Amino acid sequence: MKVKVVESVLKANDAVARENRRRMDAAGVLAINITSAPGSGKTALLERTIPALGPEARCAVLVGDLQTTRDAERLGAVAAETVQINTGRGCHLSAPQVNEGLDSLDLSGIQFLFIENVGNMVCPAAVDLGEHLRVVLLSVPEGDDKVAKYPTLFQPADAVLLTKQDLVGVLDWDRAKVYEDLSRLNTRATLIECSQKTGQGMEQWLDWLREQRRQRASGESSAGV
Amino acid sequence: MHELSIATQLMDQVLRVAGENDAGRVVEVEVHCGVMQQVVPEALEMAFEAVAAGTVAEGSRLVIVEDAMRARCRVCGHEYEPNIDDFLCPKCSQANAELLVGQDIVLQTVICETEDRAKL
Repeated sequence: MKVKVVESVLKANDAVARENRRRMDAAGVLAINITSAPGSGKTALLERTIPALGPEARCAVLVGDLQTTRDAERLGAVAAETVQINTGRGCHLSAPQVNEGLDSLDLSGIQFLFIENVGNMVCPAAVDLGEHLRVVLLSVPEGDDKVAKYPTLFQPADAVLLTKQDLVGVLDWDRAKVYEDLSRLNTRATLIECSQKTGQGMEQWLDWLREQRRQRASGESSAGV
Repeated sequence: MHELSIATQLMDQVLRVAGENDAGRVVEVEVHCGVMQQVVPEALEMAFEAVAAGTVAEGSRLVIVEDAMRARCRVCGHEYEPNIDDFLCPKCSQANAELLVGQDIVLQTVICETEDRAKL
């Protein structure tokens, strides 16, 4: 007997992702899923970003790692609310994990929720967490060939941050190659060259964040997943 | 790397379908994978075999079909089939694609034997 089913295997995750988005919309929170390879500076970026956004922009962070609470300890010093999610063997955050994380957060008055995904350039790209925007980091030490190697990560990005720019010149980095590869995958994303260490590009990044929030609050934004 | 979680969710659906149809044994499962999910067929097969063990789907054949991508250009509205390394719209040359097909994983069919047949 052949049974025709035609049913999404991902529907359980995606249903929770929709619920997460609804919860964050109701609370007036802009949720940003930050993905990259391990070590590209996601945590360092947030350590610099959150204080720079100012005390009026209350920020919460959900941070995913296989093990340890190290990132949450770092970010707890700057964010209004921080929750560490340990995924154990899981190579990415899932919508139900974010849903549980939201249960532990007091979203009242929160403007930005940063979801720092598990460092991984493959699996997080395929999983909707219920975020409004996706930001991808690519650091100089990772090499200038990674955009073309990991197209599924860069294609849906709303912004791409080219981090650790202070290492250009110390390490080989062909800027034109990165831009050329991105131009074939994603001409929609905002590209920002920055350095978590020197602060280069931070104003552009902060302006982008504030503009995304303004657009969402006024109902102008059509971006997001 | 995420094939095990895909296989686990897939098996939940297969076993539900088997139960609804009083299946004694699942023979074949066909699943369509979107290119953007980056599923490694061998890894999904191994994971599927592992989660099928001890169920009515143990020993069943997993057929994996990769669907071609389909996208709509957010700039000019043109619909086209992008490649994983090239999302440029053939009409306006922008890479601002909204994916219509290629992001999902869909259980298509389950072939099963009913309880009576399986006992033969």
